[in-house]
Amino acid sequence: MWAMMLQSRQGRAFLDPRTKMLLVITITSIVIGGGNGGAMNIIKPVLTAVPFLLFVVERKWKTAMTYVAVYIAAFSGELFLVPITRGFLNFIVVACCGMFSRFMPGIAMGSYLVSTTTVSEFMAAMERLGLPQKLTIPLSVMFRFFPTVGEEYSAIGDAMRMRGIHFGGGKPGKMLEYRMVPLMISCVKIGDELSAAALTRGLGASVKRTNICRIGFGVFDVLVMLICILGFCILIGNKCLG
Amino acid sequence: MIELKNVSFFYTGEQADAGVKDISLVFEEGKVVLLCGKSGCGKTTLTRLINGLIPHYYEGTLTGNVVVNGYLVADTALYKMAGIVGSVFQNPRSQFFNVDTDSELAFACENMGMPEEEVRRRMEYAVEELELGSLLGRSIFELSGGEKQKIACGSVSTLEPEVFVLDEPTSNLDMEGIALLKKVVAYWKANGKTVIIAEHRLNFLADLADRVIYLEDGKIAGDYDGVTFFGQQVSFYRDRGLRSPYLKDIWRQERYMPHLKDFCSLQGFYYSYGKPGSVLDIPKAEIPLGHVVAVVGKNGAGKTTLIRSICGLLKHDKGILGIRRKKLKARERLSICYMVMQDVNHQLFTESVLDEVLLSMGQKDQATAEWILDSLDLLEFKDMHPMSLSGGQKQRVAIASALTSDREIIVLDEPTSGLDFLHMQQVAEGIRTLQDKNRTIFIVTHDPEFIAACCTDILLMERGKLREQYPLDSEGMGKLKIFYGI
Repeated sequence: MWAMMLQSRQGRAFLDPRTKMLLVITITSIVIGGGNGGAMNIIKPVLTAVPFLLFVVERKWKTAMTYVAVYIAAFSGELFLVPITRGFLNFIVVACCGMFSRFMPGIAMGSYLVSTTTVSEFMAAMERLGLPQKLTIPLSVMFRFFPTVGEEYSAIGDAMRMRGIHFGGGKPGKMLEYRMVPLMISCVKIGDELSAAALTRGLGASVKRTNICRIGFGVFDVLVMLICILGFCILIGNKCLG
Repeated sequence: MIELKNVSFFYTGEQADAGVKDISLVFEEGKVVLLCGKSGCGKTTLTRLINGLIPHYYEGTLTGNVVVNGYLVADTALYKMAGIVGSVFQNPRSQFFNVDTDSELAFACENMGMPEEEVRRRMEYAVEELELGSLLGRSIFELSGGEKQKIACGSVSTLEPEVFVLDEPTSNLDMEGIALLKKVVAYWKANGKTVIIAEHRLNFLADLADRVIYLEDGKIAGDYDGVTFFGQQVSFYRDRGLRSPYLKDIWRQERYMPHLKDFCSLQGFYYSYGKPGSVLDIPKAEIPLGHVVAVVGKNGAGKTTLIRSICGLLKHDKGILGIRRKKLKARERLSICYMVMQDVNHQLFTESVLDEVLLSMGQKDQATAEWILDSLDLLEFKDMHPMSLSGGQKQRVAIASALTSDREIIVLDEPTSGLDFLHMQQVAEGIRTLQDKNRTIFIVTHDPEFIAACCTDILLMERGKLREQYPLDSEGMGKLKIFYGI
């Protein structure tokens, strides 16, 4: 009876993990470093909209809305505030808005990749790409680690707030140290225990790993990949033409 | 059969006393064996010698032989050992490689490269045998502690090993979680598996363990059959620094309860994590100032949410805490409360123990700081880096900085999980010191022995609501025992 459940659970995700990884690479390279003008004016907004659409598909309404709001704020800041400000203020506005409008899409796409892909799917994707085990294991440990680092980071933040250590407390230099030292120590400890547990469950055996999760390309994957390829063509075209 | 012959092991670069010395033991098939002793007695090391993490993962010098079912552990690769010995660990946060239950159950078999149908057959079998059906398809993060340990057991039993080793599996579990784990161990025993458990909490093994090995400083200091060991007087366990296996024997330490007319009041403590249904729903409550309040209840009853709310750590928190005619909103509470977290590694920031204590003082006063360190047996470590101390010492450093912080309300989250009797007593002593300095203390705990040692009041929570509140007098103690079913 559980067999049925186990089978049906393994239904395919909306996008293949490989497609998501390609999207992360495409969005970061084109939106951050793509330049302006010509076809870029079309492909950049399209790529910027992709994370939003994906969040909507996954029904993560709140994330989708926050993403749109911040992006619009940054973009309109660049458009309207930059021409009317001067001096230091102008510098701040340019820096903030520029950073947000360029980095947001990449970061959003990255967080979509991490939050919608299971470690097992990620491993399957890497194996299908033909990467050797020496590379897939460390990378998937890293992938497994993102949410843990986030958890630790916020717990340490709580502890700092409670002890009254915050910006404006007089020691901005110490801030980084106070946060990073406990974070690194607990991450090392968790990493150590995680490796021990994984090894006792046979990770790293010299046989070829099986993977029971189903990954594969569908219509949407093809569509997304076409957009990515198109984006890169335009990027390369632009760079070559000057 | 497992055989250890003159085995000694010393870790590289760690304190010399953490290893084991000259251990010779034979474990017969189909028995449940309990390894017990104080922290640092070597029981965890012994489990690692059996599952192969020593010498294949932890570095050190090993002499003597460990043979498990005919395999010499030192010469058998870890992935081969995986099929012979299944391992369950203490910390649920760090023993799952996957973040969803299905993949975790499949993980070990996948690593062995079994064909897909075989993996599914074995998963199905484990799900049926260990009753994991309701846990399928869930995220690891949304499971309770007991459920996580069940999945951990399931994920190692898919390889159908003959031996299981469990290293302090109940540290983070409530009574219900322990009961779940106990069922699994009983099932393994009934199926002729050998189960070796290193534990501080002995209670749940009283009718399961066939044999008990007591370790002291890395050596075997006692080898009993289960019936003899669990038939002893309380003093037997006390003398050996062990937790009492019979919770009904615990007695209440007479505590001074200041009869102040002052209360701190909680008003409108409602909270929900974005989803419908509140996890915290306390319209009004009053807590006498200067008391030590144990917050008890099942996992998921809202205990942690309550103390986070008291400390002002929740976002969009509308609750008001009244204390000495002041009405404090969440943000204002951050500066009158101090929380000693479950994982103290999160809250030690500085380079020396003394700095750590001074950091939380308004007026830096070294003499007072040293006096407080002395009262917690920490003075000799004052120049050491807090992170280089042992777990129990780190926790006392956190308690010391709570003491110096001049905060009126001190909150502790599960301060005794995984502590032996002696260290539990030390924490209780620390709490009493705090109370003597007129602090009001909230403690979230699953540990009745600890509650009896230092608490004065009980707050019982159920599904986010305050179900009952009573002083821990002799009548209250009776109620508490009923709650714990002892």
